Amino acid sequence: MKNIKYLIQFLFITSLLFGFSSCELEELEDPNGASVELQENPTILDLKTLVAGTEHLLRDEVGFWYEAVGIIGRECYRFTSSDPRYTSDLLGKGEATLDNNTFYTTRTFTGRYRTVRNTNILITAVNNISATTGITEEEKNGFLGFAKTIQAYELLIVSQHQGDCGIRFDVANVDNLGPFLGSEQALQSISGLLDEAVGHLDNAGSEFIFGLAEGFVGFDSPATFKQFNRAIAARVAAYQGDFSKVLNLLGSTFLDETGGQEVGPALFYGSAGTDLTNPLTYVPNDANALLAHPSYVTDLEEGDTRSSKVAERESVYELDDLSSGWDVALYFSQTAGIPIIKNAELILLKAEASTQTGDVGGATAAINAIRTANGLGEYGGGTSTDELINEILKQRRYSLFMEGHRWIDMRRYNKLNELPIDRAGDDVFNSFPRPLTENEPCG
Amino acid sequence: MKKYFTKSCLAITVLLLLSSTLAMAQFTVSGTVTNAEGEAVIGCTVLIKNTARGTVTDLDGQYSLELPSDSATLVFSSIGMESVEQVVNTETGTLDLQLAESNNRLEEVVVSGLATSVKRANLANSVASISAKELTGIAPAPTTDGAFYGKFKGVVVNSNSGAPGGGMSVKLRGVTSVFGNAQPLYIVDGVYVNNSSVSAGLNSVSAASRGGNQSNQDNPSNRIADIDPGDIETIEILKGASAAAIYGSRAAAGVVIITTKRGKSGETKVNLSQSIGVTSQLRKLGIREWDAQEVEDAFGEDDRALFEQGTTNFEDELYGNKGILSDTRLSVTGGNEKTSFYAGASRKDDEGIVKNTGYEKTSVRLNIGHKLTDWLKLDATSNYIHSSADRGFFNNDNSGTTMGVAFVFTPQWAQLLPDANGNYPNNPYSSSNFLQTRDLITNNEKVNRIITGATATARLFSNDKQSLQLKLRGGLDNYTLRTTAIFPRALQFYQSEDSDQGHSIQGTTNSTQTNLSAFLVHSFFAPRGLSFRTQLGVTAENFDLNTILVDANNLTAQETNIDLAASQASTQNRVIQKDRGFFVQEEINFQDKIIATVGLRADKSSNNGEVNKLFYYPKASLAANLHEFGFLGNGEMISSLKLRAAFGQSGNFARFGDKYTSFEGGFTINGRGTMPIGTLLGNPDVTPERQTEIEFGTDIGLLNGKILLDATYYIKSVNDLLLREGLPSSSGYTIRVSNAAELQNRGVELGISVNPINNANLKWSSKTSFWLNRSEITRLDIPAFNLGAFGAGLGIFRIEEGKSATQIVGTCGDCEGFTPDADGLVVHGDAEPDFQMSFLNNINFLRHFDLAFLFHWKQGGDNINLSKLLSDFGQTSPDYEETNLDPSNEMVNGDYRINAFSSGNPAVFVEDASYVRLREISLFYTLPRSLLGGIGKVRVGFSGNNLLNFFSYNSYDPEVSNFGGNGLSTGVEVTPFPTSKRWNFHISAEF
Repeated sequence: MKNIKYLIQFLFITSLLFGFSSCELEELEDPNGASVELQENPTILDLKTLVAGTEHLLRDEVGFWYEAVGIIGRECYRFTSSDPRYTSDLLGKGEATLDNNTFYTTRTFTGRYRTVRNTNILITAVNNISATTGITEEEKNGFLGFAKTIQAYELLIVSQHQGDCGIRFDVANVDNLGPFLGSEQALQSISGLLDEAVGHLDNAGSEFIFGLAEGFVGFDSPATFKQFNRAIAARVAAYQGDFSKVLNLLGSTFLDETGGQEVGPALFYGSAGTDLTNPLTYVPNDANALLAHPSYVTDLEEGDTRSSKVAERESVYELDDLSSGWDVALYFSQTAGIPIIKNAELILLKAEASTQTGDVGGATAAINAIRTANGLGEYGGGTSTDELINEILKQRRYSLFMEGHRWIDMRRYNKLNELPIDRAGDDVFNSFPRPLTENEPCG
Repeated sequence: MKKYFTKSCLAITVLLLLSSTLAMAQFTVSGTVTNAEGEAVIGCTVLIKNTARGTVTDLDGQYSLELPSDSATLVFSSIGMESVEQVVNTETGTLDLQLAESNNRLEEVVVSGLATSVKRANLANSVASISAKELTGIAPAPTTDGAFYGKFKGVVVNSNSGAPGGGMSVKLRGVTSVFGNAQPLYIVDGVYVNNSSVSAGLNSVSAASRGGNQSNQDNPSNRIADIDPGDIETIEILKGASAAAIYGSRAAAGVVIITTKRGKSGETKVNLSQSIGVTSQLRKLGIREWDAQEVEDAFGEDDRALFEQGTTNFEDELYGNKGILSDTRLSVTGGNEKTSFYAGASRKDDEGIVKNTGYEKTSVRLNIGHKLTDWLKLDATSNYIHSSADRGFFNNDNSGTTMGVAFVFTPQWAQLLPDANGNYPNNPYSSSNFLQTRDLITNNEKVNRIITGATATARLFSNDKQSLQLKLRGGLDNYTLRTTAIFPRALQFYQSEDSDQGHSIQGTTNSTQTNLSAFLVHSFFAPRGLSFRTQLGVTAENFDLNTILVDANNLTAQETNIDLAASQASTQNRVIQKDRGFFVQEEINFQDKIIATVGLRADKSSNNGEVNKLFYYPKASLAANLHEFGFLGNGEMISSLKLRAAFGQSGNFARFGDKYTSFEGGFTINGRGTMPIGTLLGNPDVTPERQTEIEFGTDIGLLNGKILLDATYYIKSVNDLLLREGLPSSSGYTIRVSNAAELQNRGVELGISVNPINNANLKWSSKTSFWLNRSEITRLDIPAFNLGAFGAGLGIFRIEEGKSATQIVGTCGDCEGFTPDADGLVVHGDAEPDFQMSFLNNINFLRHFDLAFLFHWKQGGDNINLSKLLSDFGQTSPDYEETNLDPSNEMVNGDYRINAFSSGNPAVFVEDASYVRLREISLFYTLPRSLLGGIGKVRVGFSGNNLLNFFSYNSYDPEVSNFGGNGLSTGVEVTPFPTSKRWNFHISAEF
């Protein structure tokens, strides 16, 4: 009797112990975010959401890019009591140089490469998507055309940020990042990637199956998105100095010499709590301010309506031996979009390429299209290449104010030494240093 | 693993089957066990030495035991009493015994395995343990962890602020993790208890870490605060891997084992106690003295006029609330032979030193033990807790909105008091009127919590030589935390339409933890006093924490309902973890002379890269009781001498989520959901941090145990330390968590207990403890990096190979007199104290008076004190115009500190945080029994916490942490909620 009791107990215990020990744990999925592993077997909705994520990332840290180009290109000052580096490091005050591990270097760089990563995930996902989802080849081409165009655009920004240091172009493999390419080679690769994207867009049917934010209104079908792609390609060709190619490409863009200057795709900003607002909006007259460089106002021609891009402050703001009485007033609302590329730039690319290829008539016509649209009379200056280029650079300065151009334009024409120096000992830097975390110093 | 179990189980089966009973001579011994006062000792164990056979005394202290042989040695033991051994034989018949109250601790019982315990005399580790008497018997602390101060060697307790409701960090034998969990595992009656701190989303208002609503500067309380210290019977602290290895992967930061009170068979006892007290600011800093001309020079004519109209002492206004403290407690214990119970209810209501802050807690506990049969026993514990803490709004900000920051920017002539209609004037010196903030905001944490556990203990088999016991245990800890942070539109900083126009931030956290385990314990008594105890078991733990936080701003008028706000954002954070493990342990005892233990724990966890990979944590220890060998003479001089050595390993899991590469949530674009890639690259190979500890020590008893000495030296290395490695950001990621470093802690713990006087009219016992720890980063695979504070210009912690893990570095301005390293940094200090000491005394005099006090001395250890710099910016520092900081005596302190900031030399902010405190003191009078007709016991008394404080640290209290309790950062101060001292009057009655 007693033995039976023990036997029952014993069986109970052993079964219990086995119950525990055989308990295999299952791999948990991250409950706080979708796993990147979805790229291995995505749904069509995943692809669409990746497109939206990519568009979102286009805006990531982008304020730092526009401000840094603006400050080094002497378009603006950034005054804030919380960070002296805007007026010291970025302007090369005294002995100050650009730091390779500080926000103005790293944040732009990181933000752009995050978008690149997202486009690479999108590309992998498109390549892996199962035919059982019902997706067509045309639809897949639509996604690929979008992904590669955006990737090329972001790499273009990093290449301009890094200048002669060059960039990693192939970063598809996280564990084995590609080599750094010199700036010329990088531009060539970017140009190639844009052409690849066009190959996809040409075979993407008449509609994308994914939506784009309102910033892309008018550029949200394969055919019109291709116009945007070609516009970026034209910018790349200009940076490469291949001006006959610029002219060639402009034909496939949305260039319209008599059309609206501001037409073109833009970064979208919204007021929803989960959306982002325009990072370049500041409270007028505040101590935390984005100010126009005084030369923007003093160099302005009489009657130029682009004077509206700045607003006079109640009093002149002085900080760190700098001063300005003007706020940058490009964006009146926190939901205003920031242009990615616009008609005014295409017109001025036409002017520049015409000048460089000896078509003075074409160049002046394009310059005049800009001048008259901004309340100025026709161009009356000399028509030598240098004179025309100077006029074009000036029109670019005003039409593309604070949109990431002035510093790059002056650099590609070796005119950085013509930018105004406000304090003895200030420097104009040629490029940002390569971020420390790349573990491979430049040069 | 299965194979292993099968083999063990087979062995056990064989043992079971082999058991046989041999005929022997038999006789019976019976008697009564009483204590020094002649009262029956209930539940005293009477055991035949070196066997598993025995009995316990009944309600009247009586026992009766049948002995199998001609003679035997009986061991009488009961908790808190001196054990007694008596030889009995067939002639003995009746044996009555009086047990003396134990004044040495060698006989007390200490947990040694997941299912077993061992008496301290046979323990090979330095396990710190204290009883209710020491924990709360002197001057009760508001929270359980707050009662640890100075009572455990090797334990560093730090209060993050003085906000009511707790917020503490407990570090055992130094820093054990940099980014991982650095707080010990808490186990209450076998239930794994959650001790997380959940942020209330205050960053939306404070902007302490710039964007978003999450930061680690919110100063939330930690959830161990919920446990009522009054319910606790004993606490044991396993400080390192050598003692805690059997807890495996969760034990690297140590284990705190809490046992709550149990019922005792016998008459039902009711204990009713009430304490009432008052709290006030621990140290006042005073306010800066001005004359009218100085005000005009510094602030202008308008301010001079205001100054001449009159001033307010805002320190008294903000921190001068005399908070009333009240604690009511009722407990009932009792039981019969089969069933015993402890029922306790308590209600605490503490006000803080800032108006509208306070802490309320109601706790109800029921512990029941029941013997179903002579071989099966059930124990169940259950605890319901409701608490509510109003914590104010302090610490760092970037918006001038916390009361602490606004206070230091406001001179005493500011007009902040409300007018007759209750309207608060705006504060022109800061973004907020802190009196308005104090009166209008809500920052509340409310907890509803149930902790319950059950243990079934079955003696499956026993005879003279062996016994087999089964223990099944299950536990549940479930709580709901509601955080409510309401910052109405009426506040100065939310009146403008360009502002956020009010915030209503409401969070709900649900946490459920369950643990299940089964153990088999086999004891085998071989001849010649050799005994073996084998235990094996399996464990399973599940954790699930889910936080949903809704942050609404742009509030409609006076409404706080989030529906009515113009803008809302919500965030959810889930933490899910499942662990499975098993362990085996073998203890060998040779005549109490040599005690050896070996054990192995194996764990797997869903947090690891490979979820089903088992990680093994071995342990081994050896204790030798030299006095048992008989060559120390008669034992009068050296009554006991033990040498001990222990080795063990334990782990610390990667943080939840470290292995995942995921998309970032929470963003939309133009109304569409997005999948932007996150910046963390998951590391699928992430493994737990592994700690290896070796400790050596000795315990010596002198003069018949009147003097007890103990000394321990330990070396504890943490390998595979989890760090956040910066990645080339061209990958699109910036961080990966990897096992990339090793750190080592070494330390010494010394203790001396003396009972110099022990007679009827005067009893004095005294315990002095001393401990110190040194750490070093012994390997670092990634470049040295800074963390845990605000920047190199203000002083910051730095993880660097070959250096102390808690060093504080910084830039050095012009670096005159410094030799900066390649990164331009010099060492300005170290958060690690040089040493700590405590001095605990209990004096009973004139029979009825009990005086007890505890001094606590922390020597050295630096803080980063930035409060003063902020008050310098506001020109309000009380010592602004003194000149004791500048070595050249040229600059006044305020200017000197501001200059140090602007020149980037933080040396002056890194301050010595030494202190000596009278942590606890109490005087109680127990009414003579004759006065009450012998029916009960009444005690009255006074107690105080932190009544005396000696420190030169230039702020409210050197105990502070802007970044909370977890992680490496400690002692960083930015305008905290000041700490307080407490006085209490107590009365308790037992009948």
